Amino acid sequence: MSLAIAAGVIGGLATLAQLGLMAWLISSVVIHDTPLVTLWPYAAALAGAVIVRGLAQWLQETSGLEAGLRVKARVRAQVLDQLAALGPVHLAERHSAGSTAQLVDQVEALEGYIARYVPQATLAVVLPLIFLGVAFSLDWLAASFFLIAAPLIPLFMALIGMGAQRLNEQQFQAMTRLAGHFLDRVRGLTTLQLFGRTRQATEEVTAVADDYRRRNMKTLRVAFLSSAVLEFFASVSIAVIAIYIGFGLLGYIQFGPADQLTLFSGLFLLFMAPDFFQPLRLLAQHYHDRASALGAAEGLRTLLAQTPPQGPRMEALNSGHDDTVPLRARLTDVSVAHAGRGRVLGPLDLDIDDGEVVALVGPSGTGKSTLLQVLAGFVDAEAGEVVLRSKTRVAWLDQRPFLMQGTLAENLRLVAPDASDDRLREALIAAQLGDLLSALPEGLDTSLGERGLGLSGGQASRLALARVFLSDAPLVLLDEPTASLDPDNEQRVIEGLTQLAAQGRTLVIATHHPAVMGMADRVLRLEAGQLHSQDVPASSEALS
Amino acid sequence: MKESIIMKGATVKALGPWLRLMGERRTRLLIGALLMLATLLFAIGLLTLSGWFITATALTGMTLAAGGAATINVFTPGSGIRFFAVGRTAARYAERLYNHDTVLRLLADIRGRTFAGLSRLSGRELARYRAGEWLNRLTADIDALDNLYLRLLAPPLVGLLAVLVVSGILALAMPAFGGVLLAIMLPLWGIVTLGMAVAGSGPSARRVETLERLRVRALEHLQGLAELRTFGVLGAHRARVEREQRTLLDDQRRLGRRAALGNALVTVTVQGAAVAILCLALLAFAAGKLSAPVASMLPLAVLALNEGLAMLPGAFVQLGATRTAAARLNAEAAAPASDEGGISLASVEAPSLTFEAVTLRYPGMGTTPALEDVNLHVAAGERVAVLGPSGSGKSSLAQLVVRAFDPDAGSVQLAGQDLRSLAPQALRSRLAYLTQHTELFHASLADNLRLGLPVEHDLDEAAVERALWQALWIVDLEGWARELPHGLDTWVGEAGRQLSGGQARRVALARVILRDAPLVLLDEPLAGLDATTATTVAERLDTWLDGRTALMFAHRRDALPHCDRALVL
Repeated sequence: MSLAIAAGVIGGLATLAQLGLMAWLISSVVIHDTPLVTLWPYAAALAGAVIVRGLAQWLQETSGLEAGLRVKARVRAQVLDQLAALGPVHLAERHSAGSTAQLVDQVEALEGYIARYVPQATLAVVLPLIFLGVAFSLDWLAASFFLIAAPLIPLFMALIGMGAQRLNEQQFQAMTRLAGHFLDRVRGLTTLQLFGRTRQATEEVTAVADDYRRRNMKTLRVAFLSSAVLEFFASVSIAVIAIYIGFGLLGYIQFGPADQLTLFSGLFLLFMAPDFFQPLRLLAQHYHDRASALGAAEGLRTLLAQTPPQGPRMEALNSGHDDTVPLRARLTDVSVAHAGRGRVLGPLDLDIDDGEVVALVGPSGTGKSTLLQVLAGFVDAEAGEVVLRSKTRVAWLDQRPFLMQGTLAENLRLVAPDASDDRLREALIAAQLGDLLSALPEGLDTSLGERGLGLSGGQASRLALARVFLSDAPLVLLDEPTASLDPDNEQRVIEGLTQLAAQGRTLVIATHHPAVMGMADRVLRLEAGQLHSQDVPASSEALS
Repeated sequence: MKESIIMKGATVKALGPWLRLMGERRTRLLIGALLMLATLLFAIGLLTLSGWFITATALTGMTLAAGGAATINVFTPGSGIRFFAVGRTAARYAERLYNHDTVLRLLADIRGRTFAGLSRLSGRELARYRAGEWLNRLTADIDALDNLYLRLLAPPLVGLLAVLVVSGILALAMPAFGGVLLAIMLPLWGIVTLGMAVAGSGPSARRVETLERLRVRALEHLQGLAELRTFGVLGAHRARVEREQRTLLDDQRRLGRRAALGNALVTVTVQGAAVAILCLALLAFAAGKLSAPVASMLPLAVLALNEGLAMLPGAFVQLGATRTAAARLNAEAAAPASDEGGISLASVEAPSLTFEAVTLRYPGMGTTPALEDVNLHVAAGERVAVLGPSGSGKSSLAQLVVRAFDPDAGSVQLAGQDLRSLAPQALRSRLAYLTQHTELFHASLADNLRLGLPVEHDLDEAAVERALWQALWIVDLEGWARELPHGLDTWVGEAGRQLSGGQARRVALARVILRDAPLVLLDEPLAGLDATTATTVAERLDTWLDGRTALMFAHRRDALPHCDRALVL
């Protein structure tokens, strides 16, 4: 960024050199009758100044661009780190589309500010000062016309700032509302079609946009005044300087340095006048970059300031409640509170044996999901201790299984990058997706997602289950894996879970469904965050 | 060269419909461009006249100082300078205001046109588009077109005109100078418009797609965070996110560097042209062909061209993105629904409804049909319940009746006429359909209800009001609505979120009732209602349904008003 500023200053100096040389050439030829051919070194220097100016401009823009891109990449990495550390529970409090917008669009909004506004904010102070210094050395009275404008520079900036900021905020709000109206009608197009109201709605879309225009124009009339003021000062100071110099050269002004004016100094001052104001005009142009970046930065700062959860402690856990089976997890006096909802879980003590299938039941809102989240490390216990046996990896499956745009195989290999096609097939069959796989002409290479195969809810759940089969995580946490599935799909998922348990993995399942409870070794009933009762289902008892 | 021609063809094709749309406002666009030109010409006038004035006064001053006799009229140039200074400010203010007004008018036009296009899409296409990030993309694409005039249409035109005007001024002084300037500036103009467009075509079009993919990957990353994190593969997926980002940043770098090159080229060429004209003018002065004031004024006129050309490279390097956005909008909004039928039904009586050996497959859902060889006859005035678990094809039957989809085999008939042969209007006016998914609009309660009224009704305001209250009574919301501080004018939030799920459902039902149609399709009409309310609404619906043909869908029969018969899918 300092490179961009340095380049901007060099460009300003080259501009001064160019303008000075032009004025000097005119004055030499016109006043002193010097033949132009003898002045070729100056003409060459002039051409050099023009080239330096072009190079400096290129350097300023590209180094600003690099700085902007660098900042975007860095901030995006930070946001990704932070979102990952905060985990899905913190994320669920925010809308995932909102977080995506932060990660994508708000970070994009930083570029213009870093690349253009920040260097220009310095240049808008430095360059006019350099020009002013040169002007003083030529004619202090003419320079004072610049100087009259100079104290106004902060005023200009404030004016531009206020005007542009107000304009920006209002336009942003109104545009959001306008876009909201449009999207609302697009979202409801099916309904509008059913009621035969599409023509009426089209007219309404146009009318609302037009109404927005009419109201917006009122504020714009005022908001554009700030740039008009800047324009006015720039134009008037050129006019005043031109007239002052003209009258001074005629000898009409018997005051101050006016009698010292020459064609050279007069032309040089005139040439300088537009460039004196140019950095400010550019700053005004880039002002909207600042406004949108500041809006984005605020949201990003809030996000980055949140403290991520630490996760459970890992240590050797050997002694179970009977000494034959080692423990997988131990919760001691654990309680969890959520902001605004008070305590949602605990205090609670719980030992989970290795290889055990535990069903968590109870009405919604009693802390089943929270208990799973504590075990997964998505939220921290406020009090008490959560310990997992050393090196316990966790697999997670919830009601909204994660599908990625890509092929079936890519979706599975996400978990096991090195798995062979055969292993993928085995996992799909274990997860009761064998019949789907054989019905797909492209098999594992079938694309999923927006433009590919749309999986039903049950199929997606079983795909997520296939991922659990592919991973070798010993502790599997499942949050209502069979919610909103019809009985057939539910039965298939339960068969898959039974196979997982048969592999010796520990399953903790939050569920409402009796069939799932039936396959558990232990059913824990939670009520208001407390462990209410434990029982062993009849079927398991009969087996043991 | 060949590539540029292809690209130009694609650009014209993609932007064509939008340019034609803007063409309807050509007078406004022209006035806006002229105001831009006026601003630029005032700036040129201010600088050149000042240059002329200073040189002339200097020469006169020298003559006077040397004791010679000379006169100069200082008042005409002086007032000219003031006129240009004030004129430039006024023109600039007027231009910004006027052109913003134009842009906002164009925005209304573009939204209206896009909406009209989208509203012709069939249910099949809407269902396909609804998925994913389509709405976000739609917004971004429309935004890209909003700026077409102010970035890509007016500035190059104004820049070109300014080049011509300044060349004309130069030609007045020395015809050859005008030619020299044209020879320098016309190629520059071509490079900063067409050349920049070609240079940026690939990366800027790709940038739109990459940004889209980055958004999808980011959304995946966040939605899948629980699984990705527990499986320990967050890093692997993050690499995908970062790969998209790298592609995006690389393209942005390419575009930025090319634009910077274009900008530097403008500076060097315009300033270089000014220097060249200066040298030529001084030579002409030395040869006695030009006066000194004119010689020093000409380079100033050239310098002022910078303002007219400086914005062009940055705008045109992004033309590919605008083209992509326009092409996508064209593709999305162009496909018209298949409205081939023309038969209208004479009778207003309750019609019969027949499904004859109907098979329906959804696109992208594999080979399993949603409905297979379904036969069903609903007699005129009969009420039939279709029961079954979700996913058994209940809603598909309704989708066929409203022709969101047409059957892959078999036919659906209304009063004995194949739906495909009916005029869409004839079908829609005879039909009221409560969809499974409740869609309310961000508008007042009354506006949401009025949507249900027949499109052409002869009710006066009082009768409409009575009808609204009657419908609200049937769904047992009358008392609730009377107690609202703003009554029927109460604003219903985005997608009806200000209401509870059950209330929103009943408002949607009231809307269907208002349609007063002889054929009624109700998909889970009592879902989400508590037992007492459900009983009340079911009783009132029962009366209202008298004399209408009705097809109703639910998980269980007790979740429906009285039916003549039920079948299970």
